[in-house]
Amino acid sequence: MGRFVTCHYIGTPLNAETTHNLLTVTGLTKEYPARATFFGRKAGVVRAVDDVSFHIDRGESLGLVGESGCGKTTTARCVLRAVEPTAGQILFRDGERDVDVRALDRNALREFRKYMQLIFQDPYSSLNPRMTVLEIIAEPLIVHGVSRGRELKDRVRDLMKQVGLDERYLNRYPHAFSGGQRQRIGIARALALNPALIVADEAVSALDVSMQAQILNLLEELQDEFGLTYLFIAHDLSVVRHFTTRVVVMYAGRVAESAATEELFANPLHPYTAALLASAPRPDPGHQEAHVPLSGEVPDPGNMPGGCPFHPRCPFATDRCKSERPEVREIRPGRQVSCHFAGELEL
Amino acid sequence: MKTDPQTTQVQTSPILTVEDLHVHFQLDQGVVRAVDGISFQVNQGEVAGLIGESGCGKSVTAQAVMRIVPKPGKIVEGRILLYEGEDDAEGVDVAKLPRNSPELRSVRGGDISMIFQEPMTTFSPVHTVGNQIMEAIRGHGEPDKERARKIAVDMLDRVGIPRADERVDAFAFQLSGGMRQRAMIAMALATRPRMLIADEPTTALDVTMQAQILALMKDLQAEFGMAILMITHDLGVIAESCHRVSVMYWGKIVESTTVKELFAKPLHPYTQALLESIPRMEKREGKLKMIRGSVPEPFAKVPGCPFHARCDHAIKGKCDVGAPPELREIQPDHWAACWLYESE
Repeated sequence: MGRFVTCHYIGTPLNAETTHNLLTVTGLTKEYPARATFFGRKAGVVRAVDDVSFHIDRGESLGLVGESGCGKTTTARCVLRAVEPTAGQILFRDGERDVDVRALDRNALREFRKYMQLIFQDPYSSLNPRMTVLEIIAEPLIVHGVSRGRELKDRVRDLMKQVGLDERYLNRYPHAFSGGQRQRIGIARALALNPALIVADEAVSALDVSMQAQILNLLEELQDEFGLTYLFIAHDLSVVRHFTTRVVVMYAGRVAESAATEELFANPLHPYTAALLASAPRPDPGHQEAHVPLSGEVPDPGNMPGGCPFHPRCPFATDRCKSERPEVREIRPGRQVSCHFAGELEL
Repeated sequence: MKTDPQTTQVQTSPILTVEDLHVHFQLDQGVVRAVDGISFQVNQGEVAGLIGESGCGKSVTAQAVMRIVPKPGKIVEGRILLYEGEDDAEGVDVAKLPRNSPELRSVRGGDISMIFQEPMTTFSPVHTVGNQIMEAIRGHGEPDKERARKIAVDMLDRVGIPRADERVDAFAFQLSGGMRQRAMIAMALATRPRMLIADEPTTALDVTMQAQILALMKDLQAEFGMAILMITHDLGVIAESCHRVSVMYWGKIVESTTVKELFAKPLHPYTQALLESIPRMEKREGKLKMIRGSVPEPFAKVPGCPFHARCDHAIKGKCDVGAPPELREIQPDHWAACWLYESE
């Protein structure tokens, strides 16, 4: 069950079979071995990602949100198989069938890489400083033997135009560009193989505010034009609100809550989500926020509290929360929460 | 104890006045005018914000006030006046104090303290946090070791570090990110400075930690009555913690007023564009209104107003030639550097 047939997504008509569940992740887990240290770590395993499930429909933008150590980046890396998951299932819909991403052998995986690409956070370290723009954007095309010579250069020029980069910069090196422009180079590179899914890992976090709007608009335009699907990892909630259609909130490697974006922001069901929304500073002096900031810190994955990982910081924690870990429950269609009291709390 | 910057009583006598400050970096490729003639004032007990994007010169401004501008940077012109109190009419020009002089060392860390974005680079990795805080205390008025240690422990406790009497002997790498930031604040405030400069203090932190640190700073500011110069690129941080704000662009201040005014009625096209381009948590926009183009290169010689190439209101023949517009008081206590308001 390793090989699959190349299928072109550009121009594929949208219908029920091709839109739903482009990517389905079930029970994803990633463990790292840990040594005991005198800082309190127990020996055994660190679960960076713990039983995470979600799906993305074609053409959608799914936000993956959380603070440091929540596992969002590791989740994305597992989906791309840049990191090998410990457990779980990752299914990618190819036309009418689902491809089991974890079962792909080396050659099939290489083929498969055309379908899922990555845009990195740091435009300064994600481009090889010794390669020209042409070489950087052409690299995936060369590696996969997609085009050569004149055709290759034309394709690169096309891509540069798509992302708003002047063609004249073909032979320049990354250091000649601003952060925003470098990010455009990274986006052009990600588009080179006509992927179906793009993982944007904090793609605008390192950019100046005035540049963020440009890049976000560009990503949206590309989505419209090429029918792209995004897994959008971010920590800035206002960007998430603007850009995504659904959101998964992660905490300490687990899914805290997932919902349609509008619903999540209007009516969070997990205390952590509520705290996250309340914590973000608003560019509005008139905004009165009556909340007390959440105390404590995100737990060390090597030293997790028992029960619900959020209980030490949760204003609503009970004894049950300290001993019994809540499972992710579907409260309503499309609304998942891992809290014993989901729906009962005044958040 | 949460204090609202908008209602806290703010005195109107200055603690710091910066006059026509110019900081240049002499590089092989040319001169970078990182700070290109700025003037502003921070009042006693006030939280003044300095906002701008990367390369605008806000951090170099802070470094100039602390006299820690890295080589090859140099303060080439201007005055940085630090006042004792209401009765001090003249102030001391920090820019003119000789390097390594006892006067300067007394100001730096004593009258004015600074906290940075990255606490790991503030702390020495080979000294305990307590030793470093004590060093600051003993260098600024309390030479006794025992008493200095007590102050250090009290301060660590005051900033919310649990088990402060044990943590005082920890190394910076043993503390988590949030704790390190708190320890850095403890070190800065242990000498009871009259002014604190905070250079992107929460940018590297998670959003829930950011909220804690900002709340802590507000409490401490109210308790100690000190002034704060808050440097950031985040308009949300400005809105929540500052009384006044100055907007910097390419080495110059382009707008300066109270926080309420800036968000309600921004005058400068750059400020307006910035406010319009950020996504909001309250609702989902259609497309974001973006600012076209990008900040000029550091070595570029831009005629006229540095923002003209990106400005929707630029007047050809006026904004793109000659000297850039001066910062003028357009409305009561609302300053802007823009030719659009010239005729008024």
